[in-house]
Amino acid sequence: MGEIRTFAEGERAPRVVLIGLASCFGCQINITNIEEHLLAVLGQIDMAYWQLTSSAPMPDEFDVAVIEGAVTTEEAAETVRRARERAQCVIAIGACAATGGIPGMASDDLPGHVAAVYGEAAPEACGSLREPVPVSAVIDVDYTVNCCPIDPMEFVRVLDAALYGSNYLPVTSVLCGECSRNEQGCLYQRGQMCLGLVTRAGCGAKCPALGRACNGCAGLSPDANVASARYVAEKRGFNPARIDEALEMFNTVQLAAEGEE
Amino acid sequence: MLYRVIDKGELPALVNAFMERYEVVAPVKRGSKYVFASVADAADIQLDYPTTAASPKKYFMPARETLFEFDAVANEVTDFAEEVRPRVLFGVHACDINGILNLNRVFEDPRYPDPYYAAHKNATLIVGVSCMPSEFCFCNLMDSEEARPGYDLFLTDIGDKYLVSIGSVVAANILEGACDVRDATDEDRIAFRATTRARQDAFNDSIPDVQEIPMLMDAFHEDGFWDELGGRCLSCNACANVCPTCYCFDIRDTLDPGAATGRRERVWDACTSPQFAMVAGGHNFRPTPAERVRHRMYHKLNGFLSKHDRSLCVGCGRCAIACKVDISPIEVLKFFDRKGA
Repeated sequence: MGEIRTFAEGERAPRVVLIGLASCFGCQINITNIEEHLLAVLGQIDMAYWQLTSSAPMPDEFDVAVIEGAVTTEEAAETVRRARERAQCVIAIGACAATGGIPGMASDDLPGHVAAVYGEAAPEACGSLREPVPVSAVIDVDYTVNCCPIDPMEFVRVLDAALYGSNYLPVTSVLCGECSRNEQGCLYQRGQMCLGLVTRAGCGAKCPALGRACNGCAGLSPDANVASARYVAEKRGFNPARIDEALEMFNTVQLAAEGEE
Repeated sequence: MLYRVIDKGELPALVNAFMERYEVVAPVKRGSKYVFASVADAADIQLDYPTTAASPKKYFMPARETLFEFDAVANEVTDFAEEVRPRVLFGVHACDINGILNLNRVFEDPRYPDPYYAAHKNATLIVGVSCMPSEFCFCNLMDSEEARPGYDLFLTDIGDKYLVSIGSVVAANILEGACDVRDATDEDRIAFRATTRARQDAFNDSIPDVQEIPMLMDAFHEDGFWDELGGRCLSCNACANVCPTCYCFDIRDTLDPGAATGRRERVWDACTSPQFAMVAGGHNFRPTPAERVRHRMYHKLNGFLSKHDRSLCVGCGRCAIACKVDISPIEVLKFFDRKGA
């Protein structure tokens, strides 16, 4: 375990809250998976609200709001707006918060999906449903930790960046390049369709390195060349429409936004 | 140059002799490709490999390297030792040796010597091996078909023997100790010449030999050709990652968990990356893929040449293999050829 940064007398540790919206909570769980570093990470902050570990209510004042999950209800939208007003810094974690993720798949036809699941009307407990969107569609987000689930060490790095500053520049290169560093060969040559062609780099291409195609959980890069990716897929014998279909898992919201342009 | 001859059957003895004192890194098979990797058994080495997925550059400037460690609270550097394991790169092709010579020109520039690069280089011996060109090879057009300096030993396949060119005393001593080393005869030299001939005849002649590239680069600077390349670029940087001579890097500080200590790291960067030419304030000097691809080709085929009298591109062909949308210097040479170069 590394040494823990401490604060001078009179200085208080930064107060952090972790808000869970529509998600599987897997990203929060993943933070607890770094047992070896957890005490060091939590030791430098005042972790004032974390539903996963304590039923204490959210305080009125805090410095950093970490938000997991997509905004799927008006109540959730209000929660993130309030968080933005109070926090100096907002960090979105995980594909749901960053891209709309899995909940975002419902954004193309919310009434249709609601009817399919609940029949005539969604129960009251669901709240006031709205088209699922990433947190950044409702408020300004300062930092994003991508992927489904997040890499907890990347969360630690981003939390530190939020607390102490950082000279990291978020990249928009796509994953194929990182994959080439692993020298495991291209999955297209093994007959697998892979979204590394258009997905934001940064994860280290862990899935392709293990022989699993990228499913785009880090999100479509703003510099992605989807037309060129369709061409690559077609050249390798895939129906190019399958690229778009595969992108729906994590990138429905962004694809819809691009379609409007 | 000193030449000696060994039987091919003696190769394992030579590798084993190196293994006594060095980590041996050599081409090995991985899936349908070859990669440079650490080997424990001489039998794993595939010396007749066509090319490796990525270049041996990673042993001189790792994709991620700690430059020093620091105490973030006291604001002090705590450690900047660069410990490198003595290593032999065994079975390096001439193009890659020339690539390393190009890297030397950058990192051994006496005005800005790079201690990290020097530590890797000084701990590394290079054993080159002759090769036959494959479809994407064009080292012959980039003056990199032969390794003149840049190796400790160079093995040229002359049938059931290797003609060994000796480049350093350290390696010569290991060779002498491990193998039955004989003087090269005139017959061996003639066989060497035949090997060279066979190689020269085997290059893909659909890759055109274009003269006066710097002039052509300027003449066609605004040509729509660059927009075509940029229009299909995926912005992935695979070309730069597999390239033996792309040496650009970024510097990042990373805190350890707990944020009291951390490290400064150097990581590979590339001019094909969308943010590469972005400066403070957010202005990007090369905001489009077309500008970035053109910039890369300029530096590979032109910029370095005007400064160092050598093309930075060594014609290894890896980018042509790695690029999924067929962007490579080969396409640029063909473009110039179409323009009547």
